[in-house]
Amino acid sequence: MKGRLSCYLTAVLAVLGILSMAFALAAQEGNSSQPAKSKQQPVPEGGPAPRTADGHPDLSGVWFGGRAGGHTDSPALRRQFDPKVTPEEPPPFQPWAAAKIKAMTQTDYELGRASVNCMPRGVPGMFLINPYPFEIVQTPGLFVQLDELNNNFRVVHTDGRAHNPDPDPAFDGDEVGHWDGDTLVIDVISIDERTWNNFTGWFHSDEEHVIERVKRPSLNYLTVQVTIEDPKVLTKPWTSAPRVWTLGHEDLLEYFCTNNQEVEQYKALKEKESDGNKK
Amino acid sequence: MRYKLYGVVVVVLVVLFAAKPAPAHHAFAAEFDANKCTDLTGTFTAFEWDNPHGYFHMDVKDARGAVNSWSFETISVPALKRSGTSRRDFENAVGKTVTVRACLSKNGAKNRAAAETIKLPDGQVHRIGQDVEGRFKEE
Repeated sequence: MKGRLSCYLTAVLAVLGILSMAFALAAQEGNSSQPAKSKQQPVPEGGPAPRTADGHPDLSGVWFGGRAGGHTDSPALRRQFDPKVTPEEPPPFQPWAAAKIKAMTQTDYELGRASVNCMPRGVPGMFLINPYPFEIVQTPGLFVQLDELNNNFRVVHTDGRAHNPDPDPAFDGDEVGHWDGDTLVIDVISIDERTWNNFTGWFHSDEEHVIERVKRPSLNYLTVQVTIEDPKVLTKPWTSAPRVWTLGHEDLLEYFCTNNQEVEQYKALKEKESDGNKK
Repeated sequence: MRYKLYGVVVVVLVVLFAAKPAPAHHAFAAEFDANKCTDLTGTFTAFEWDNPHGYFHMDVKDARGAVNSWSFETISVPALKRSGTSRRDFENAVGKTVTVRACLSKNGAKNRAAAETIKLPDGQVHRIGQDVEGRFKEE
């Protein structure tokens, strides 16, 4: 019996040995056929920010989200803030708004996402939920942001003028800017209610008021901190962690949303899910 | 005793196979099923170099020898270009054999999948889709 047992054990160990070798080989082969993993480092600060003739920091440049200064396969470098270093509170929703968002399914989130329905990100989505680069062109009195995504643009006067007294709702809202020291403060009202502030259902009301604080702390870095007030949806104002972009050295590419098959696909998925729920 | 040993083997195999990386969480994972991913080889027939996603089409022979046309979704054109896949790469693949790692649609659409990688006719493997299966996570 003992002999037979050791015989079985040996056989089992041999099989396991062969299996583990096969797994190791498969893993190696997998690695060799895959593109090399990124070992990129964050771009350095690069010295002080340049300034325009009127003495303000010059925010001009092509900016990529994260710390790579361009495309990266590294999720760590793509990340625009580290919640351990600069924590960000969840949006303080009023109970009715929290309940409305909670009632949505993952598929509802997808159908409402600007990346799925091809609607403009708007303000402040172009800073909070935009994985594509943008270009800033700054002149005295003017801040122009060119978004690669959907080839959107916004023009903000930075000469301290007041809001339009009767603005129409717009995806980028009615926006005016002024300098607070080295920070460009953009004040936005009258934002189209079709925009979301995150990818998971953060809708807003016609009373939403957004304040964006844009800084260039060094040559290669841009930070944007967003405050959102929305007395109909939130219990108190919410402020984002400073989101980080780094200076790129390539032009924006054209991005028009001309072949969107997503909405149709998600609608079919939603139908399938609701059929499943009925059964 | 024999059954106990079989039990050990089963447990060990289960542990080995369960050690797959967790699927990534993003839009692709909502639309495509990270548990239904497979390698498909066939003839690259056409492509759409468009946004918000590129698409390409492939003729794949099934087990009975019948040829089915498949459609695969990729990331956007800027994302393809910046990660090293050009329009020329797709043009050069037309009419040739490629192998695609792809995950099927959750909505049950026939022969529709998200491509994760493509092995082009020159043997190079390109990442052309999001990482539905979480195979490219940083260690």
